[in-house]
Formats: sequence, C-alpha cells, structure tokens
Amino acid sequence: MIADISHYLSILSTAIFMLTFSLVLVLDRSASHATLLIKRSYSHAFILFLISFLLYVYLALTDNFSVSYIAQHSNSLLPNFYKVTSIWSAHEGSMFLWIVFLSLWGFAFNLHNDSNLNVKNLSIGIISIIIVGFQLFLLVTSNPFEIVLPFAPENGADINPVLQDPALAIHPPTLYLGYVGFVIPFAYSLAFLINGNKSLDWEKKVKSWSVMAWVFLTIGISLGSWWAYYELGWGGYWFWDPVENVALMPWLAATAFIHSLSVASKSNVLRIWNLLLSIIVFSLSLFGAFIVRSGIIDSIHSFANDPQRGMYLLAFIAIILFVSLGLFISRFSMFDSSKNIKSLSKESFISLNNIFFGVLIFSTMMGITYPLIYELLYNQKISVGAPFYNAIYAPITILATIMLVASIDSKWGRPIDVKRGFSMLYISLAISLIGLITIGYFVGNMPFIIMLSIFMGLVIIFRYLMLIISNIVHKKYTNTPSALAHAGLGLLILSISVNSILSSEKVFNMKPNEIREFQNITIQFSELELLNKSNHDSIRATFSLSTEGKQFYLSPEKRKYFARGQITSETAIKIMPLKDIYLTIGEQLDNGQWVINVQLNYFIRFIWLSAAMMALSGLIIIKNIIRRRV
Amino acid sequence: MKLLLKTSILIIPFIIFSFFYLYLSKDNSYPGADYKNFSLPSFELKNLYDDSLISNSALKGTYLVNIWASWCITCRVEHGFLSQLDDNNIRIVGLNYKDDKDDAINWLAKYGNPYEVVLHDYKGSLALDMGVTGAPETFLVHDQMVVAHYRGEINKMIWNDVFMPLIKQEGFADAK
Repeated sequence: MIADISHYLSILSTAIFMLTFSLVLVLDRSASHATLLIKRSYSHAFILFLISFLLYVYLALTDNFSVSYIAQHSNSLLPNFYKVTSIWSAHEGSMFLWIVFLSLWGFAFNLHNDSNLNVKNLSIGIISIIIVGFQLFLLVTSNPFEIVLPFAPENGADINPVLQDPALAIHPPTLYLGYVGFVIPFAYSLAFLINGNKSLDWEKKVKSWSVMAWVFLTIGISLGSWWAYYELGWGGYWFWDPVENVALMPWLAATAFIHSLSVASKSNVLRIWNLLLSIIVFSLSLFGAFIVRSGIIDSIHSFANDPQRGMYLLAFIAIILFVSLGLFISRFSMFDSSKNIKSLSKESFISLNNIFFGVLIFSTMMGITYPLIYELLYNQKISVGAPFYNAIYAPITILATIMLVASIDSKWGRPIDVKRGFSMLYISLAISLIGLITIGYFVGNMPFIIMLSIFMGLVIIFRYLMLIISNIVHKKYTNTPSALAHAGLGLLILSISVNSILSSEKVFNMKPNEIREFQNITIQFSELELLNKSNHDSIRATFSLSTEGKQFYLSPEKRKYFARGQITSETAIKIMPLKDIYLTIGEQLDNGQWVINVQLNYFIRFIWLSAAMMALSGLIIIKNIIRRRV
Repeated sequence: MKLLLKTSILIIPFIIFSFFYLYLSKDNSYPGADYKNFSLPSFELKNLYDDSLISNSALKGTYLVNIWASWCITCRVEHGFLSQLDDNNIRIVGLNYKDDKDDAINWLAKYGNPYEVVLHDYKGSLALDMGVTGAPETFLVHDQMVVAHYRGEINKMIWNDVFMPLIKQEGFADAK
C-alpha cells in the first residue's frame, strides 16, 4: 500500500516537473506572477518526489519485502543504518537517490532569488526537463517500486557485504551530490545563452554553486579511494578503474571551470570557454552515470544491467548535449571579442593550464573507450591500465605545476614584470632543492620523473608558505582558500611520488607460530581463531609485529557471509607517522600454510589529507561568497 | 577557422556517441551472455526427489539447464517465466544449487515445478565444472554440448535475444 503511494507520488512529481517546464515555455518569463507560479510548481514537484523517497526509506526500514528491490538488497537482520543505505547499494535505488539529489539542487536554486527573472525561470525550466528525463528513465526502465507477486518473500537477500560499511553510507551520496550539482551552472549558462544578453555576469552567479558541487565531488572521490583501501583490501589509493576515471574527468573539468570562472569575472576573457566548460562538466557527469549504468564496463562499481537502459541514457544524454552545443554554436557570434589574453599574465597561465586539463580529460576518455573500440573491431578484450595513465599524467601534471608556480608572481591583465625581484621564488626553489636532496639521501636512486614531481610538489608548498609569511609580514591580504588548495595539490603530488617509490609489498606463506622478516619488521603469526557472528563466520589471524623497538598486534580477518555466501577479506592496518603497515590474509594452502600479504604504504594518509585541504578551501570560498552577500 | 572550430565541437561528441551506440547495439551486448561451446561435464548426481543417480549420458537432446536454489530471491522472480517456458514445452533440467533438500522440495511444492528433472547439487560440484558463479544461471545444452550460458535472471527479453536466435539458427527442433 505504502509502496503504491510512494510509486504514485513519483509519477505525480514527474507530471508536475513536466508542467513546470511547460509553464516556462508558455508564460511571460519576465513577469513576476509567472515567476511565482513557476517557483511554486517546481517546489511542489520536488516536495512530492522527496516524500516519495522518504516513504521508500520507510519501506526499507520496515522490511517491506513485497517490494522486489528491497527484497533483493536488504535483510531483516541488518541494522537499521544498513537497511537505509541498502537503498543505494544497487542500480534502481541509487538512481532514485541520484534524481532526488538532482531535484534538490534545483530546489535550493529555486528558493534563491535572482534579479533577472527571465534567466532564473529559464534555468528552472531546463532543470525541470532534465529531471523529467531521468524520472522517466527510472520509472520505465529501472522501477524501484516493482512488487513481488503474489507472495512476498519472508526475508531479503541481504546487502552485498563489502557494502556493509559506513563509507558506503556517504561515498555514493556525496559523489552523486557532486555530479548532479553541476546542473546549476549548466542550466544557468544555457539560460544565459537563450536570453542573449551578454552583459549579464552569469559566471559570478554560478560560482558558489559550482564550487559547492566541486567540494562534494572532491570528498566523494577521496572517500571512495579510502574505502577501496581499507575495506575492499585493494591496498592502494587509486587504480585507474574505468569508473574511477569517469569520476575523475568531471572533477578535472570542474577544476578548470571554477578557475576559469574567476578569470571571466576578473578580466572578461575566457567567456566562450566557460560556456563550453559548463556544458562539458555536466555532460561528463552524465557520461559517468551512463558508463556505470549501461553495463558497458565490468568494474566493481558497475551495476548488473540490460542494454535498454544504456540506450535510453545514451539517447537522453545525446539530446541534452547536442541541444546545448547547438545553442552554444548559434550564439557564438555574441562573443566576437577581439580582446586577447596578454602573454605572461595570470590569465595566460590559467588558460595554458586549461589546455593541459583538456589534454588529461581527453586522454582519460581515450583510455576508457580504447578497449571498447578494440573489442568492437577485433572482438578481443584488452585493458588500459596504470602504465598508460602514469605516462600521460606525470609529465602533464608537472607542466601544469610550472604554470601554477609562475602564476603566483603574475598579475591580472598585464605581463609579469621581469625586472622585479623574484627573491621568494628563488628561496622556495632553494629550499625545495634541499628537500629533494634530503629525500634522495633516504630513498636512494629514483627515476628522473619522480625526482621532478617531488621537487615541484615541494616548490608549490614552499612557495605558498613564503607567500603567506610575506603577506603576514607586510600586512597584505592572503587568498587563503587558494593557498590552502594549492598547498594541498603540492602535498598530493609529493605524497603520490614518495608513495610510488617507497611502497613495497610481499606475500608470505605462513603457519601459526612461524616468524618472517620484511624490511626491518618482524612478523610472527601468533594465533588463528574461528569466530561465529550473527551474519557471518570469520577466521581471524593475529600477528605480532615488531619494528623500530615497538611491538604491536594486527588481526586481519576472512569472513564468509551467510546470506550470499560471499567471502570478504578484512584488512588490518597499523598507522604510523609516515607509513601504513597493511596486512591481509588470503587462502589456506594444502600444506596448512596461509597466504599473508604485507604492504608498506608510505605517505598514503597525506594523499587523503591533501584532498581534505582542497575540499576545505572550497568551503571557505563558499563561506566568503555568502558573507559578502549578507 | 571559426567554422572548423564549430564543426569539430559537434563532430567529436557525435563520433563518441555513435561509437557507444554501435557498441550497445552489438549482438551480444548482454553482459551476462556467453556463447562459448564446451561439452557438458560428466557427472553423477542424485535426483532431488528419489535419490536415484542420474548421469550426464541420461540427458539427451536439447534442453535448458537452470541453476536455482530456494535461498535465491532472483530465482523466485525468474520462476514465473520458467513456468511459461515449461507450458510451451521447453525442456528444462533444474540444478538445485547448494541447497537443503527439504527446503528445495518445499519451495517447488509452493511455487510449482517447471523442471523435467531436478538434480541435487549440494556441494555445487557440477555447477563449479560448468563455470557457475551464482544463482540463477541458465545453460542451453544440445547433444551434450553447452552452446549458450546466461548469468542472471532470464526473462522474455533475454529469452528472445540470447536463446531464441541460436535455437532458430541451429534448428534445434526438439527444443521448441
């Protein structure tokens, strides 16, 4: 009964979103009464959809297994927390949540008052029709409300055990909030194009929305990386998995976008480029949804699927993209600006970095599609992995960091004054060189490209430190979020480089009470226990480790879950200041030995710390924008 | 120059989209479908109902092998379609997978039995030999050869797109 109400409310909401879109088409969009009507219509559609979703959460909490999706992904033995998160553990439910978030962004935008009624109403219309497209996709091809007839099963099939983790509760929702958040700059830039008044400063209006979405995307991606590390036992932070890549592409595009937005506000250049970027960012976000949900790519993230869904999504995304690109091209002449970017100005460095980001995005797209093209042509499966991406990302990132460091000394709208002293730059270079030599002393030989990355990482960090110190001394304004985010980038490059040369792993075959040595660590297999838990059996091995005069215990587990018979590996991690000792237990061999995997992961915590610094800087930007408005 | 820019902005995404269109509309674009041929592994399993032993040589002609279990929710979803197939005289051999015997018998009593014969594979040994990763999965067997394998729930669409073309093309008359 409640399932039917929830289903019905979703359908009704779709109809009202469609009505909102029609109102935007037929009414006089600059009139205030029409604006009020459109605003209310959107809000009602959203609230109905939200109630529908909340009812669905209630259905999951009350173990309503007559709903097929809940029966397949939840279980009455699960804690309430996982009953809720099980909603987004598979395709239908997560799509539901995805659309709720999409309409939530629109709702927040709808509440906010805009002086230009025409553009505001057009944006709401565009957002509404996008929501309608996805709601129809949900209701027609992936209906989460489907009922099991005639008998409801007595119990559900359980959530996938690797998803029984707090990180699942936040990783996908955060990521979705990031992806769909870019609907606001997308809709607003299209509305700006339709409106056709070039004096409107749309870049400034969408900045806080874009930064907010970027913050969510940043947090979502790093949470995924952290989760894969400790829960899935992947033992690293990034795997160039196709689905990681489809999250990385919009992130890169969005990073370029929020930088270029500032350029447009400051010096009225890159305006055409920003319009194109707003389309690219949102399309790449939708492309991510397509890749994950069409079943094209086998990956931990992909949902089991039928191609009908893929076709629908492909067609809908194609319509969105080609309509917006068509509009973009038809308004091309609106910006026939003869204003050129001066070389060696701040804009010029940001523009160059835009090109580098474009190259990274294009290469990543090639990395994802090349295996598919190959399969289509030769009917063989190949995979493009880390060597390809490393070979492209390392040198281009280094080039981009050089532009970044150069931009610190540059000014808006005029070239760098070469006669000026660059004492702070020279001091940072000198300190970084000393830093590199120190690291080299401990590490020994390293490849040239790694040396260069470590050096550039250090240069960024020290250059920004110098900047902050000098600004404090001279009582000048510091752009705190910029310094924080870029220092985070420096730390990220440094940590990734150090991690790549120092980290090592070894596989041992051990029996209880045996002792092995690995890189100054003594590992003793002290105990093996069998545990019976409520929903799984577990084998827990306890190891006594000693290194650098310290002794501690680590207990990795292997679990077998009853409901699905799935076996998972629970890692045990000792966090030390500069490294993690990471232990997993594998199969038991015929001679009674167990396969033990030991990894040393250097600087891995700093990778996530750097992502946190970037996200925090985004939050500071938003706080500043809001404070200025009030 | 500007024209070139304008066209390339449209052409590049167009190429990408047409490529994905081609990829999706490819014949075997069902990720769960596999058309590798291999001979039916030899086995000797108990009949679920009377514990009599059945070996691979006893099963002749063309038939489906459906992997199912009473603990499997998707099998429950699939069951209605299997009954339809049975009504249309499609031969289905049930392979009861890692399941308790009484649970399985009760389950079939409750929901109906579309199977010509049900083998009880308690340890999942035959399923392992056939490359089963879970339930439900369905194989098409012709003259002791496995000619198609589908991982996941079969329904009308999967049946028409994955199994029927093969049955028609090879002229497996006794399947239909």
